[in-house]
Amino acid sequence: MAATTESVKTDAAEAPLLNVRNMLLGASLYIVFYGWVRWYEGVYGWSAGLDSFAPEFETYWMNFLYIEFVLEASTAGILWGYIWKTRDRKVMSITPREELRRHFTHWVWLVMYAIAIYYGASYFTEQDGTWHQTIVRDTDFTPSHIIEFYLSYPIYIITGFASFLYAKTRLPAYQQGMSLQYMVSVIGPFMILPNVGLNEWGHTFWFMEELFVAPLHYGFVFFGWAALGVMGVVNIEVASLSKLLKKDLA
Amino acid sequence: MKLIKDKVAKLSFVALLAAVSASMLYTPTASAHGEKSQAAFMRMRTIHWFDLNWSKEEVAVNDTMTISGKFFVFSGWPETVDKPEISFLNIGIPGPVFIRAGSWVGGQLVPRSISLELGETYDFKVLLKARRPGDWHVHTMLNVKGGGPIIGPGKWVTVTGSMKDFVDPITTLTGETIDLENYNLSNTYFWHAFWYALGLAWLGYWMRKPMFIPRSIAVEAGKADSLISGTDKKVAMGFAVGTLAIVAMSFSNTESQFPVTTPLQAGLLRGIKSIEMPATSIAVKVEDATYRVPGRAMQMTLTITNNGDSPVRLGEFNTAGVRFLDSNVAVDETGYPDDLLAEEGLTVSDNSPLAPGQTRTVQVSASDAAWEVYRLADLIYDPDSRFAGLLFFYDAAGKRQLITIDAPLIPTFI
Amino acid sequence: MSASQSAVRSRAEAVKVSRTFDWLICFTLFFVVLGGYHIHYMLTGGDWDFWTDWKDRRLWVTVAPIVSITFPAAVQAMLWWRYRLPFGAVLCILGLLLGEWVNRYLNFWGWTYFPVNFVFPSNLMPGAILLDVILMLSGSMTATAVLGGLAYGLVFYPGNWAVVGPLHVPVEYNGMMMTLADLQGYHYVRTGTPEYIRMVEKGTLRTFGKDVAPVSAFFSGFVSILIYFLWHFFGRWFNSTEFVKSA
Repeated sequence: MAATTESVKTDAAEAPLLNVRNMLLGASLYIVFYGWVRWYEGVYGWSAGLDSFAPEFETYWMNFLYIEFVLEASTAGILWGYIWKTRDRKVMSITPREELRRHFTHWVWLVMYAIAIYYGASYFTEQDGTWHQTIVRDTDFTPSHIIEFYLSYPIYIITGFASFLYAKTRLPAYQQGMSLQYMVSVIGPFMILPNVGLNEWGHTFWFMEELFVAPLHYGFVFFGWAALGVMGVVNIEVASLSKLLKKDLA
Repeated sequence: MKLIKDKVAKLSFVALLAAVSASMLYTPTASAHGEKSQAAFMRMRTIHWFDLNWSKEEVAVNDTMTISGKFFVFSGWPETVDKPEISFLNIGIPGPVFIRAGSWVGGQLVPRSISLELGETYDFKVLLKARRPGDWHVHTMLNVKGGGPIIGPGKWVTVTGSMKDFVDPITTLTGETIDLENYNLSNTYFWHAFWYALGLAWLGYWMRKPMFIPRSIAVEAGKADSLISGTDKKVAMGFAVGTLAIVAMSFSNTESQFPVTTPLQAGLLRGIKSIEMPATSIAVKVEDATYRVPGRAMQMTLTITNNGDSPVRLGEFNTAGVRFLDSNVAVDETGYPDDLLAEEGLTVSDNSPLAPGQTRTVQVSASDAAWEVYRLADLIYDPDSRFAGLLFFYDAAGKRQLITIDAPLIPTFI
Repeated sequence: MSASQSAVRSRAEAVKVSRTFDWLICFTLFFVVLGGYHIHYMLTGGDWDFWTDWKDRRLWVTVAPIVSITFPAAVQAMLWWRYRLPFGAVLCILGLLLGEWVNRYLNFWGWTYFPVNFVFPSNLMPGAILLDVILMLSGSMTATAVLGGLAYGLVFYPGNWAVVGPLHVPVEYNGMMMTLADLQGYHYVRTGTPEYIRMVEKGTLRTFGKDVAPVSAFFSGFVSILIYFLWHFFGRWFNSTEFVKSA
């Protein structure tokens, strides 16, 4: 269809639908931060992390834990609060183009979630096995745990809920209730964190070996399956985008 | 809003840089290995390590050192730790900074797990070859199945040189000499890269064409079959046949290159020889044992009877690897770790030679900072406040006798 | 509909937008599935996967296919049935192997200094390719479960032998016989991993000759069939676009 003069003027002033800069900045934030974390544990894991009763353990590891708790709680509060507070109260009356733009923004959030899940569930979780099968576990707050359970899991939780909240507050496709699989893909991995309680209880009281495939760990396995909920989210998105683009793709 | 966002981004980056640089400037050295976190009553009532010797304090990459000694499997083994029916003689080091070139218990090579018995004494030796430079705390260690790691005393050893120089030459039964450190590595990388590339090729074949939205629309419209062409099917067949062919070829090539292979070797080693400890001729009764809180000394009242034919004196009390010596009677010449050695830590109210046939009641005090540093004083807060240890007596000729003691420990607060 | 009611200005833009979403979706699907799959696999088959002295011809051969056919089955339930994209299994394995290799190299080697020839992952790619091709050519979930599942179990050991075989060469070491893989486990000290926690073949009174690997592989293939069915249905559930209405 021929473009009208009005839409040509709009084109010239309009920002791109996908904010690539934000996406790359966001990705770099995770990658650079975790690169620094990996450097930190490389140095301080060996020099200060082997004896939980040593003073340097308190300095380099317990302080790290306390600081990360505070930062995580604040980030969650501020981020989720902001997304909620600035919600679109007239979300059903946005234009198709605006809806398309918001889908792109939603996908930027999903890409961030993917990166956060990779680091949390894959990188730092298998790394925990590396550490514990090498040294002697002498506390619930080992260096690898402080990074894995108490940093990388909260980070993906914060990101996942932010993504969910964005969809819920900005996109018409998510106004008809709560997407079952979106909840699964966000709450399931979240539940891995309370499961840490079971894990530490077991390691302290009845399971003394460092076997990774022990039944004690099956809680993590079960909640890890929930990541597959992302398939449902993809399907909702594709259905919604198909509706938006169908006529133009024909 | 954008201005604020940019400012925050800039400040965060500066903060990150500052944090990174600050932390890069300070790197403290490693300390102990987690033994302090283990309950005191278990460290005192499981494995008693003694006569330990670390052959070197400094060793270059590729050079070897040994850790040898004896351990007594305490008869009053705690209920809460599984019995050492399946154990493994390990070594407490932070990862493979040494490789374990050999380990023996009772003269038997023990690369596999072994069965040990309560009340027996065993001698052991571990041969280590240095691999990674640094200052490492090297501990004796025994893992017990179901119980976990029992960590013994540790001593600082420095490894000098460069890890790049490390080699681990092994000659196989097929006559080849290889370096275990990098054997088969390029073969591993090759095959994994090959299969990964094949997977990527399969993915790439499908990703060249539009994927989700258009295909979803077609499937919804009942045109799913139009999405797979004849060429697609041929390509797929090619991948499948190729996969099977490559697997078959790589398998048979490997079989012809390595015609002699065996399964992994595993299985418990039983019948480990213990030391025939000579019969003892000294009887010791613990009348009482107390620990003053706060304090750094344990007091015991012992009634000692000498049933032998030579006068004896008490030289050492050893518990959880901490050694309290009466320097008039016993001196350490093995270079035992300082923080676990109280050279003058043992005080006996009357340590004059106890003649044969005599009985004497003495007050013994074992005193050193190790009680607190190693958290042995926390015994009184454990669910089973009983201690155990080894007493070493010496006769006129210097012959040594080892007596085990096992008694409750009562805290005193006054 | 007039132009201003459309989300895009032209067909060309629609095509570009659709293609951009392809990449965003692929990236997200790849890494989120990777996270879930890796955590699942490392905690159900991980110890065998980490160390060469666990890669025996009985338990490794049995466990690895059974626990790893799970996510491919689920992802195929989405990608093939909704989009006719036949790369569900390969996508999962590409993700899993990437996650594993990154960790083995950067952490097992880079942090704790175990040589890579001791800690490399199992190769799962041949089975994944077969699963995807069988699904594509048959268009049948049942055929994929039965033929694909069986093939997945059977092809595991031969598909890994090129890398693992050289480590099963025997050595006489201080009077005892060991394989090079056992020797790696003995030499490279793992304080948290005593030898007795190795779940490997120790022989039975009825192990007839050298059939251990084929028997284990067939058993593994059989169970993989059942797991494929189960996980196909799990996958269908995860595909749901259902919304839950608030009370």
